[in-house]
Amino acid sequence: MANILLNVLIAFLVGSVLFGLQRKIMARIQMRPGPPVIQHLLHTFKFFVKESSFPKTAAMPFYIAITAMLCVIWVSAVIVGPVTQGSLLLIFAIYALHKIVEHNAGSSSGSPYGKLSCVRAVFSAAAEVPLFAVLIIIYFKTGTMDLSQIISFQTANGPLIYSIPLAAAMFFVLILSKAPYSPFAITKGKDIISGYETEHFGLLRGYLMMSESIAWYMLLWVFLTVFIGGLNPLLYLLGMVTLSTIVAFINATTPILNPNHSIMMQVSFAIIGVVGSLILLL
Amino acid sequence: MSETIYLLYILSFVLGSILGLVLSYKKYNAPYALGNIDVLALISAVIGWFMAINSGLVPFIEPYITITIGVFLLSVVLGMRPGYGRSETFIGIIIAGIIWIIRTVIL
Repeated sequence: MANILLNVLIAFLVGSVLFGLQRKIMARIQMRPGPPVIQHLLHTFKFFVKESSFPKTAAMPFYIAITAMLCVIWVSAVIVGPVTQGSLLLIFAIYALHKIVEHNAGSSSGSPYGKLSCVRAVFSAAAEVPLFAVLIIIYFKTGTMDLSQIISFQTANGPLIYSIPLAAAMFFVLILSKAPYSPFAITKGKDIISGYETEHFGLLRGYLMMSESIAWYMLLWVFLTVFIGGLNPLLYLLGMVTLSTIVAFINATTPILNPNHSIMMQVSFAIIGVVGSLILLL
Repeated sequence: MSETIYLLYILSFVLGSILGLVLSYKKYNAPYALGNIDVLALISAVIGWFMAINSGLVPFIEPYITITIGVFLLSVVLGMRPGYGRSETFIGIIIAGIIWIIRTVIL
């Protein structure tokens, strides 16, 4: 239990600071001073002490339950990942649930922005789930879906990023789609205010932001563990900072794509990644 | 145990950043400091980066305590309001980096 709490706390704090770092780097690239690195964390704390109000159009109790669900699924991801090093398939299931929660958070508020985001969440799932086909390639290469065995495989045979680089690129595109301000972040595009979060205020928004920080940490953790291997905490941190910096560079220099283009681009990456990796494996 | 220490460093960074932000907003009203170096911030950055990177040079204290204090001091400067603390952080990294290179590569 203590180990779970410890890892969840680390995931939340590191995820929040990495989001802040991302915004800072983006700002510097765009010649702005940018917010402090801990801005995302401060925002999250701020929402926990703000007044919580509920729209008349909200579908209760779903509107409230959905925030708890998002938190629960990403805490589960921490348990499956860093705590127990369980199955990669469970991480995939959690990611699929995340898409459903995004969809339902948008639809439960009754806001038109939330509803648009809800539609986009389903739309983007059509592209992001194929990107998770990366799991098949990992299975073909290592013969297992178990994170601890994938780490052992890499200890014996070297990091997977060298042997299946296209699969790593696919997973990176998936990570990119979850970053705020990314070209693929259509569910939270600024054209629909804050997307599915628009009508979640106060405490509920705090929970959503906390879950997103944990989700960001977990996606980076899975990438580093699956494609580079089991690292010590400092190397994990360095790897996460590096990945977040690369993502920040991409986000700062690219506009958000139109939903159709975003999906087509992600699907194209998925096809190139799967077919290319299979050819490389043969 | 290593994860607990890792958490300690992160908490130290977060608390240091918050303190740096609050103090710098109290101390400075202008949105930007061009060319001025805050001596206190410089001392904090130099000591902080030195302790965080070169904890092995402080033999009478456990390394994790040295690093925690170092991370706290460096994050106080790193977390200052936007536009402040950058030169001080840069100087701190350079000095600590030179000492690290001397002790690990040259000696």
